[in-house]
Amino acid sequence: MGTESCPNCGARVVSRSRRSLQRVWAWWLAGLICYVPANIYPMLETRTLVHTESATIVGGVAELAAHGAYGIALIILVASVVIPVGKFASIAFLAFSVGSVSRAAPQARHGVHEIVEYIGRWSMIDVFVVAILSSLVQLNAVAAIQPGPASLAFALSVIFTMLSAQAFDPRMIWDGIEDRGAGIARE
Amino acid sequence: MRVSDQPPEIPVRSVRASIFERASVVWLVPMAALLVALGVAWQSYSDRGPVIEIAFDSAAGMSPGETVLRYRDVDVGLVEDVAFTDNLDRVLASVRLEKSIASFVDDSAEFWIVRPEVTARGVTGLDTVLSGVYIEGTWDSTPGGLASRHVALAEPPLAAAGQLGLRIVLNASPGAALSEGAPILYKGIEVGRIGKPGLSEDGVNARASAIIFEPYDRIVTSATRFWDTSGFTFSLGAGGAELDFTSLASLIGGGVAFETIVSGGRPAVDGAEFGLFADEGRARASLFDTTEGTELNLIVIFRENFSGLAVGAPVELEGVRIGEVSSIRGIVDEDRFGDDGVRLLTTLALVPSRLSLDLAEFDDPLDYFEQRVDAGLRARLATATILTGGLKVEMIEVPEAPIELIDLSGDPYPILPSTLSEISDVSATAEGVFQRINDLPIEELLVSAIGFLDAAESFVGGNDTQAVPAEVRGLIGDVRGLVTAPELQALPAEVAALVAELKGVADDMRVVTTALSEADMVARLQGAIDAAAAAATGVETSVEGVPELVTSLTELSDRAGAIPLDIMVEQASGALASAQALIASDDTQALPGALTTALAEVEAALQELREGGAVRNLNQTLASAETAAAAIETAVVGLPSLTGRIEALVAQAEDALSGVDQNSELSREARAALRDISNAAEAFESLSRALERRPNSVILGR
Repeated sequence: MGTESCPNCGARVVSRSRRSLQRVWAWWLAGLICYVPANIYPMLETRTLVHTESATIVGGVAELAAHGAYGIALIILVASVVIPVGKFASIAFLAFSVGSVSRAAPQARHGVHEIVEYIGRWSMIDVFVVAILSSLVQLNAVAAIQPGPASLAFALSVIFTMLSAQAFDPRMIWDGIEDRGAGIARE
Repeated sequence: MRVSDQPPEIPVRSVRASIFERASVVWLVPMAALLVALGVAWQSYSDRGPVIEIAFDSAAGMSPGETVLRYRDVDVGLVEDVAFTDNLDRVLASVRLEKSIASFVDDSAEFWIVRPEVTARGVTGLDTVLSGVYIEGTWDSTPGGLASRHVALAEPPLAAAGQLGLRIVLNASPGAALSEGAPILYKGIEVGRIGKPGLSEDGVNARASAIIFEPYDRIVTSATRFWDTSGFTFSLGAGGAELDFTSLASLIGGGVAFETIVSGGRPAVDGAEFGLFADEGRARASLFDTTEGTELNLIVIFRENFSGLAVGAPVELEGVRIGEVSSIRGIVDEDRFGDDGVRLLTTLALVPSRLSLDLAEFDDPLDYFEQRVDAGLRARLATATILTGGLKVEMIEVPEAPIELIDLSGDPYPILPSTLSEISDVSATAEGVFQRINDLPIEELLVSAIGFLDAAESFVGGNDTQAVPAEVRGLIGDVRGLVTAPELQALPAEVAALVAELKGVADDMRVVTTALSEADMVARLQGAIDAAAAAATGVETSVEGVPELVTSLTELSDRAGAIPLDIMVEQASGALASAQALIASDDTQALPGALTTALAEVEAALQELREGGAVRNLNQTLASAETAAAAIETAVVGLPSLTGRIEALVAQAEDALSGVDQNSELSREARAALRDISNAAEAFESLSRALERRPNSVILGR
């Protein structure tokens, strides 16, 4: 396949993104690496007059649940744990499915990709909460909230997974159909 | 060979692109992330300090991951785990130390839990109220290698980290209170602190360690005395009421003050022991009680267990008080003594300085006791006072004592051997006394006494005895009769008569002298001169006789004065005394008759005295005195005529002289003769005047 430029904008026209899968996996791995410290280290450090408390993501969820705030606990759990983990799983599934012949329907896989791309940004809600709290609650000696090391790792993890989802070329989902039917050569 | 126009087939070889061409650049991102993660992991691992285990009695307030270890208020560690020791008797806290200080946490390290504490002296550890407890650690500043196991102190140490000072031990005397953390004041400045009080080894005294901080530790010497300043003193006296306390904090929480009372003490060393006195007065007085505060403690185990021995009972060495009993306990130790009897374990607190030992010979006072015990010195119980039954401990040399030595291995003090107590002797003596009292023939004595009293009663009731008072009364009556006898009564009257007569004599003499002075006498000169000479001679002799008379009168009156009236009275009273002695004598049974006789004799003697004897003699004496006075009167009666004659002579001489020449020899001589005569007349006049003034001088010679 020759490469041509777009007559309008001059951008290079490619039929498939080059090394798409490689980039998907690379971002995915980086995101996963960052996700580990994001869960180990404390997300928030709450320092009051006499006490310093730091909570990890899961610890915070458990604490909220223990105090009876099940709704908030659920939101945080979904935003910080379920969505990122789901994203990792979804991206890995999509990347695997294009590398080999998948039995799953391409339409379903395309839908998964769209959902991943759409919902991935919402994972940043945790980071935003931390950022807002840190900037608002700065009462000097009385109380202060500071982002923990996990917040940075979590933010990186979210960013990397978003990049991973973007690097994925959804057209590859449909390439298998040509193999089965029209026999269009792949690249 | 035909040249083909077909280009030769170019061999096409599919070349596998290199990994760098095929791989995406994006792979660098996860690689970097991985590297960073590994780096961080390595960093945190290598920065991690070692874990030490600290054993606590309880983990009050400690929580893993939160409780920190602090050194000088800086966090240097974190409690990672709290667990039990194997037998559950202690709590083990695993503390992750910071790497930088780990090597300093050696065996010298001390740990304790800081808790909030509210005392009268203030609030400490307030921050731990909200933040929870923390572990404070202190260690010296020389790295000595990490020691991984430590035992925490139950209480915070006296001195904070890095605070140096003199560590001493205070022994509280009765009445002084030790309270933990109380300040030690010197002239009102807090210079030290008292640690947690405890009991001494023998359980007798309360004692506490204390610290005097630098640089005040130099003040403390062996002559320093400590006293308790807690509480207050209230005194009410002439100066009004007075309430005195050192400070509000020491009023509530106690406090100790000290003063180095005399100079010249040795500087105190770490671990030195001091007594804590109840007040300043006693502290000061103690300096002069015992020059050396150290006491020697000995234990004596008595086989007998007498009541009456009390704490504070004196301990005497050959009669010299050298200490007192400081504690008494009963012990039963079958293994040690062979039976299950109760022994009396007595702790003696001796003051060796009272022995005035020669320190060159006995370096340690205990050596002295060792030597004495070798020679047979034993302790025993003895009665201090029989009245209360109180006992004392006596050290005496027992001559044939079985060989025993001071048990230097005694715990906690050396044990001095004892011997049988002397209590039994005392009781035996008392028993003997009672036995002898019992053996006294009291009943026989009473029978004799009753018989004696009967006899006495019959004697007193006897007629003769009854008659004695009557006799005595008669005797007194006689004595009174003697005194009131007319002869004695008449004595003053006779004396008065004598005096009156003497006065009459004097009157006569006055008449004579008057006559002498008034008479007008003229006579012949020559005869007059002869007569004058003869007369002068006569007068001289006559006057010479007067002193003799006076002398004899004096003798007379002396004799009269020597009449032994008082002797008589003395004899009478002597006789009465004899009579009385007679009555009191043992032979009183035979008395009445003899007494009566004696009284009769006395009476007779007095009667005799009354009838004749002395009074008559006195009368005679007075009569003689009267006669003498009469003689004097007669003599004096002769005087006027004599004077008359002298006057006549003078007159004659004057007449004669008036006839002769004034300047002649005769005239001069005659004048001299006349002057002599005139002098003689004057002498007579003065004599008569003297007699008139003091008639008794004739009798008394004065």
